[in-house]
Amino acid sequence: MSPVSFDPRLPPENNVSPTHPLAELAALLGGILLAAVLLTAGATLALDWLVPHLPASLEQRVFSGLWPAPEAGAGSQQRDPEQATAEALMLRLASHWPDNPYRLHLAVVENDEVNAFAVPGGLVLVTRGLLKRVTSENELAFVLGHELGHFHGRDQLRTLGRGLVVGLTLQALAGTAASGLPALATRMTELRFARAQEEEADRFGLALVEAEYGHVDGATAFFRRLAETRDQDPTGPGNAWLSTHPLGSARIQALEAQAREQGWPETGSLTPIAWRSASARH
Amino acid sequence: MDQELVRLAINLGLPLLLLVLGYFTGTAFEHTHYRSIRLRERRWRRMPTLSFPRPLPQWQVQDTAMVTGSVVISLDYFKRFLAGLRGLVGGRVKSYESLLDRARREAILRMKESAHTAGFHAVVNLRLETSRLASSGRKGKGTAGVEILAFGTALKIADPARP
Repeated sequence: MSPVSFDPRLPPENNVSPTHPLAELAALLGGILLAAVLLTAGATLALDWLVPHLPASLEQRVFSGLWPAPEAGAGSQQRDPEQATAEALMLRLASHWPDNPYRLHLAVVENDEVNAFAVPGGLVLVTRGLLKRVTSENELAFVLGHELGHFHGRDQLRTLGRGLVVGLTLQALAGTAASGLPALATRMTELRFARAQEEEADRFGLALVEAEYGHVDGATAFFRRLAETRDQDPTGPGNAWLSTHPLGSARIQALEAQAREQGWPETGSLTPIAWRSASARH
Repeated sequence: MDQELVRLAINLGLPLLLLVLGYFTGTAFEHTHYRSIRLRERRWRRMPTLSFPRPLPQWQVQDTAMVTGSVVISLDYFKRFLAGLRGLVGGRVKSYESLLDRARREAILRMKESAHTAGFHAVVNLRLETSRLASSGRKGKGTAGVEILAFGTALKIADPARP
């Protein structure tokens, strides 16, 4: 049929690597995840070592510029009485922390959820929902003392640093391998302190409460109430604190044990909330 | 918590589903395609196709024309994911090798088939060109596909047995 005689061999098939794609996937994914884990762990260790060496004044200078500006009209006359009372209480508690390096501030977040945060640089954020739901000053004092405990442990810096490292690692991963994994992992590390950090902050907070009132009554009452309302209403506003501050009965027990060990009275007279009594007089 | 679960399912489950789907469809297509390629390569084996730019001296060329064969290929999710991971650490992007190998061989086969249909007997000066088709997504940085173009000069050769 063809006018030309031509009888070549077929070329060898050597242009495709023989590796099975699934084997390659396993090797790549395993290696990269291992590297990410090692990197994060290494960064966490490095931060734990580094953070105590950073002076609080430096932290304050760097971060205070990032705080939200005080709301307009927050002058001395129109000052929110709840914010003023809570801040004064926090400063009173902080006076029992002898070598406190921070200039502390407190701001109220207009949110009905119950939560409080320690922001790097010495700012404590408290939600309006929390202020509405505390029934005594002692309850609020423990929440604030707990947040001061995070400053004492420099937890915000560590967590921020870790979040940064994790975020950057995930960013590098997400840049090439598009998937929902990064979003998920960022959520999990979102401003959550390690359990040990929470317990340490609890211990510190309880010590401040005892120093202020001479007893620790009321300190855990608020948490107990939150836990109860969560059982009744799992999606209620009280849940926010619990979702960022995992609260088992173990934590309450640890606080009670601490009080017993130190010989701190567990009952005493509760101080009413100043702004409540003020508005009651009207 | 339910919302979290739904979000988790979408964030994690959907890519995973696409990966599995990409792997199985991609593998199946590749398997079928290679079978067809090998079959047709055997069929067209005796048609001279040379990168040499001139006809062989013993050929009596009666007619010439340019012939082309072109293939556009795209990636499946699985291969893209593998290549993405590979992009982090470097090395051979093995998941694309088979894709390009198939495309090159398919383009040459199409060129030969087109030459045969037009009544030609051989192709010389075979060349391969590759061009990237930019995707509209990711600010034009993404790749929608790759075109492989095979082209050459088809020759009609006089039969020495029938002068």
